[in-house]
Amino acid sequence: MAPRWKGKDAKSKKEAEAEALKEPMSKIISQLQSSLVQSNTCGFLSDNCVHLTVQAEQLDLLDKACFGRPVRIVEKDMYWFQLTVEEAFYLCYSLKCLKIKINVGADTGPLNDEELWHYFRSKKETFPYFYKAYSHLRMKNWVVRSGAQYGVDLIVYRHHPARVHSEYGVLVLSHDKDGDLNGRLRVWSDVHCTTRLLGGVAKTLLVLYVNKNGNNDESLLCLTNYTVEERTISRWSPEQCRERSI
Amino acid sequence: MEGNKWGYSSNEDTSNDDDDVNLPNASDEEEDLHFTSHSLPKSQFRNIKSKARWNEEMGMAEVIEKNGKMWVSTGIVRSGKIYTSFEETLYFMELGALHLVDSENRSISIIEMYEKVSSRMTGCCWELFEAYRHLKSLGYIIGRHNFAWSLKSIRSSQKQVALEGTEESKQIVDMGSKVEHSISKLFGELKINELKPDFDIYLPDSRFRKSSPGDPNFLLYLSRGHLPSRAEIETLEKQCEGIPLKICLVTEGRVSFFSFDKVELPALP
Repeated sequence: MAPRWKGKDAKSKKEAEAEALKEPMSKIISQLQSSLVQSNTCGFLSDNCVHLTVQAEQLDLLDKACFGRPVRIVEKDMYWFQLTVEEAFYLCYSLKCLKIKINVGADTGPLNDEELWHYFRSKKETFPYFYKAYSHLRMKNWVVRSGAQYGVDLIVYRHHPARVHSEYGVLVLSHDKDGDLNGRLRVWSDVHCTTRLLGGVAKTLLVLYVNKNGNNDESLLCLTNYTVEERTISRWSPEQCRERSI
Repeated sequence: MEGNKWGYSSNEDTSNDDDDVNLPNASDEEEDLHFTSHSLPKSQFRNIKSKARWNEEMGMAEVIEKNGKMWVSTGIVRSGKIYTSFEETLYFMELGALHLVDSENRSISIIEMYEKVSSRMTGCCWELFEAYRHLKSLGYIIGRHNFAWSLKSIRSSQKQVALEGTEESKQIVDMGSKVEHSISKLFGELKINELKPDFDIYLPDSRFRKSSPGDPNFLLYLSRGHLPSRAEIETLEKQCEGIPLKICLVTEGRVSFFSFDKVELPALP
């Protein structure tokens, strides 16, 4: 399926595509990165998400880069933002532009990567797999959001969702034992269901098989040894493909 | 100001308009309700009959009277004779294009063939037959996976020599009357639950020749009972040598096909 840029007519779709090309996601993310570093932004843990306060500039960049969601609290010149554990860990560990404390008023310094890994893992059993999947896509500059609305784990966009429709619905599975993560794609009916639902909203099902390659997830160090295999699952229609090359 | 175009990226705002696309598969929405119209591709009934003799040991039929063009892309050729697999035989019987007899020239009815379908020697099963019928009636050219269309095609295709052809090539030498034996041996070697593609499939092509079939457009595997695991799909793919694999599912007469393709999402700018 070709990317579907947003716009009322062909011309505005073209414009959306041109704008995205002019301002690639990698550029936006590095702007966000340096802005967060400069302002020494520090978030704090709140149960299974991370909160932070930011200035107008970072608010704009977080939105452009599609990290987290704003929390509406009326407070002058201060904006509250909420990040998922994957987003927070990506900004901390991969982009090194966010620090996280255990709580707002903590006297102790920010938690180190290893401590955060342990905390997130204790909050979400599947965190090692989901983080690997999330960072795998983010590192290729795809925009990653929750796929809950479409019955999948993630959805991915090739640029900001204001400019383009998402192309893939993603399920994260374990390479070793299929389906032990989230119980998905164990039976044909689930394949039918998922491809049909995603097909109905013009998305392709992308499965990410995360392979731990024999490593456990006790330490953050093992993360570098994880690999990801990508597969799309789609229905094929023999009625429509008689002459086309497949 | 550019800011206007961005808007907030909360899921509620951005994702909902993903929903108003036209459903690409809306057309098959109604399909199941009227099985006479769409669920089965229309089959043409034939007036001209060919005749074949069923060989129980081989699980195949030897065509003894050829009529019609279907023999260009149906059946395997061995020492000048055409042999049809179970699914090919039954398909043309259902179309009324083939008259089948046993070794004593007694007619074999379609009902008798339905009863035979699951017997071990046919190398077939009902769901596999349904998959065959579905694709064949759309004009696809279908052969059993790695069964050479003719012995000439073995020489023309390196691939099949490497796989199964060597075994067969040896048998070319003492061909003659032993041809039947060699084919039934081919069948006999198939293990029932062996994980391997079922069919080699070519797109509809009027220039198809059994003597030089070329590489199939894709290979088909019939899912039996359960969704194949990632590891099983990989085992199947290893046998495909780069030719795309489709996985087929037959449920209550409804045939669906899926691709499980290895991909690599591009790194974006």
